[in-house]
Amino acid sequence: MEIEIKNTGIDGLYAKTSGRLDLDSAVEYGVAIKDALTDASEDIKELVLDFSEITFISSFGLKVVLELYKEMQAKQGTLKLKDIPEQLKNSFKMVGFDKFLDLD
Amino acid sequence: MFKTLKSKIIFTSFIMLTLLMSVFIFFAIQSRMFTKQLMVQNYRYSIDALFVNDINDSIMTLEDNLKSLALIGGLHYRTSRSDELTDEVVIRIFRNYPHTLGGGIWFKPYIFGDNKKYNCFYAYRNKDNKVVLDKNFASAEYDYPNQQWYKEIISKVTPKRNIVWTKPYYEKIGSTTKMVTAGTGIYAKGKLVGIATVDWEISSVIKNISKMKPHEMKFSMYKTGKKIKNSFVLLGHADDDYIIATNDPYLDGDSLVGHSLKEIPWYAPDLYGTTYFTYHGKIYTPFFWKLPNGMVLVICLPKTEMFINVDMFYFPFTALILLFIFMIFVRVYFGINRYIINPIDKLIDIAHKISDGKDVNIKIDKPAEFAQLASTFDTMTKDLKIITKEKEHINSELNIAKSIQASSLPDVFPPFPDRDEFDIYAFMEPAKEVGGDFYDFYFIDENRFMFLIADVSGKGVPAALFMMTVKTLINNLSQVGYEPQELIKVINNKVCQSNKQGFFVTMFAGIVDVETGDITYINCGHNAPLIKSGIGEYKYLECDSNIVLGAFEDFDFKIVQSKLEVGDTICLYTDGMTEATNQNNEMYGEERLLEKINKFDNDDIYTMASDMKNDVIKYSEKIERSDDITLVIFKYKNKHNNVRKTIYKAPASQENYKDFYKWLHNICDQWQINDELKNKLDMCGEEIYANIAFYAYPQTEGDIRVAVLKDETQVTLKFADDGIPYNPLEKPDPDITLPPEQRPLGGLGIFMVKEMADDIQYEYTNNSNILTLKFNLQ
Repeated sequence: MEIEIKNTGIDGLYAKTSGRLDLDSAVEYGVAIKDALTDASEDIKELVLDFSEITFISSFGLKVVLELYKEMQAKQGTLKLKDIPEQLKNSFKMVGFDKFLDLD
Repeated sequence: MFKTLKSKIIFTSFIMLTLLMSVFIFFAIQSRMFTKQLMVQNYRYSIDALFVNDINDSIMTLEDNLKSLALIGGLHYRTSRSDELTDEVVIRIFRNYPHTLGGGIWFKPYIFGDNKKYNCFYAYRNKDNKVVLDKNFASAEYDYPNQQWYKEIISKVTPKRNIVWTKPYYEKIGSTTKMVTAGTGIYAKGKLVGIATVDWEISSVIKNISKMKPHEMKFSMYKTGKKIKNSFVLLGHADDDYIIATNDPYLDGDSLVGHSLKEIPWYAPDLYGTTYFTYHGKIYTPFFWKLPNGMVLVICLPKTEMFINVDMFYFPFTALILLFIFMIFVRVYFGINRYIINPIDKLIDIAHKISDGKDVNIKIDKPAEFAQLASTFDTMTKDLKIITKEKEHINSELNIAKSIQASSLPDVFPPFPDRDEFDIYAFMEPAKEVGGDFYDFYFIDENRFMFLIADVSGKGVPAALFMMTVKTLINNLSQVGYEPQELIKVINNKVCQSNKQGFFVTMFAGIVDVETGDITYINCGHNAPLIKSGIGEYKYLECDSNIVLGAFEDFDFKIVQSKLEVGDTICLYTDGMTEATNQNNEMYGEERLLEKINKFDNDDIYTMASDMKNDVIKYSEKIERSDDITLVIFKYKNKHNNVRKTIYKAPASQENYKDFYKWLHNICDQWQINDELKNKLDMCGEEIYANIAFYAYPQTEGDIRVAVLKDETQVTLKFADDGIPYNPLEKPDPDITLPPEQRPLGGLGIFMVKEMADDIQYEYTNNSNILTLKFNLQ
């Protein structure tokens, strides 16, 4: 899988990938972003995950999102999900992620 | 080594002829030896008669001559005859004895007074063969009383008038030939007054002996008249031990003469014809005679020439016999070839031609036995042709029977094109022309469908006829409206009643309500069918096998009630399937059948059945099958005609997940499942897949089996694994109302599954975890 990760501003990180976030790919996706957070010279305060080209997210994908959310919370930063396709929003809602994530 | 008749006969006759030959040669040698002994005897008699007597006579004559001379001498002394008269008498005596050389009367010196010392009368044969007197001996010059021969004779004579033979000596006067003198005493009034002598010139003695050469001897047994050459004769004086004469061809005239007899190495006067000696490279047999006057006569015959007649007879005779035996052998050899081997070869050749289906005129003229055999063979071949024709006729009738039988079994598939609740496919592959297996299926009322398989004991026409009866009987009785329990009892009773030949039938039948899937199984002594239920593998259907049809009347059969699920497949087969053997006499077997049938997981039972048929037929193609092969496959779909089912099966591993979801997506697209449901199936599929891949087989590796079914209202997703028992539904749900920092990371997946599925069931059966998820279409 290809993941596009770039810094935005002084303390921002932007990650984008396409396709499925599932058993096959979710772990890889999570590890790549966590590595980027650790490697950044400044403490990242804002992590943006671009979901515009994600077609499917499973519990494995959701678990990674929760892990990243917890990590940002520990850094006193924020996690933002950008452009979640409509059909994926139900999955987030199902596990109550809409309670702490802005899905729109 | 002697595998063929030919070699055996030849070997036997070779042995027998060799034995015969050995016996013959043995007797020939014995007979030859005996003949030779006989011949030696014969030689002795012949020599005796022809030769020794002659020589004996000759000596006797000489001695008579001598005695006459002695008488004349005595007379002369006593009567004082005139010398002239005595001269005349002496001459006359010698004239009468032509073989003597000479001889005379010798008086002792001064016997007639002191004035006359020498008184002798000597006559001899001169060169003209005239007997003349020789007065020269009565001289002082010769002085006969001092001659060696005179002294020798006079010292040995006795008044008994014995004959004394001198040793050979040379006469000093007259001739210079070597001679022997025989002498005897002249007595007057008991007083020795002189001697009488007769001379033998050695050369003439030899001449005499030569004249008596045994060349005239003929062997009376074989009148070939062949002379024995190279024989030689030896005359000796036994008492005084010297050789008087010989004609030995290798001696220089008389060189042996005068020598001792004992100087001859082979001298054995008591033997004849049994000893041999080699002399100048030739083997001789000596024959010894002791003559009456004490002389020894030895006749030596060369061995080869002695027996030349015998050998000349026996060698060609033996050779002739050997040739004769060889000819017998050759005759036997060619005789065997001509009269035994060739006719056999011919018959073999004919048999080959007949077996190739060619028309052959079988005729052998001789020998008589083979002619008879050939004619029998001919008759047999003709009979065989007739029988073959009859058999072909029967075969064609059997083929008709086969087609009748085949057409009696439903063989158009699908048989009920307007009924979508089930698929059925069946075939029967008969072993011979007609078989005892059959299958059948039909609706017995609006919704109840009956299918059955049966195997009549026995094979061929009788079994086929009985099969037709039973088949018709079952068909008729099934339509009457009996309930299954009653139906099978009635069928059994009817089969019993129409079975006088003692046939029996094994049968397995299923009666299924195609609306509900309710099914009744009836097993009458048949092998258990295979059933595939849900997404499990094929397993033996458990059903009491009861008893065969046609055994006992009024038997209460135990029947089994069950329910079919959509997609359940039942495979009925006869033992001809599992007991089909290959060329190594190994059975096809139940394991192979199970392995083969479990490879099929698609919808198409037609392909499946024909594959299985091909497999078993290919397995047993090299030998003639002894039993029919029959197979019936029934697949329950359900009352709805749009139920679809697909099965996925692969080793459960994370690597295979991609294949799995692609398969699932493919089905969703094919079945036109909307995106929302597709997403749900995707998510649920992934969760359960991951669970099985990670946890089901902690130590080993194993398969995951997934089935997707769709009817008009629902999509069903079934997961099965053979791993450790685990019910994911027992896992407590995570609290999704907690703030994110308190949320646990696990348990999300199964929670989502529960949320998404409209119905979810877990069961653990037959060592398998089975999780069934149902999703409503509306």
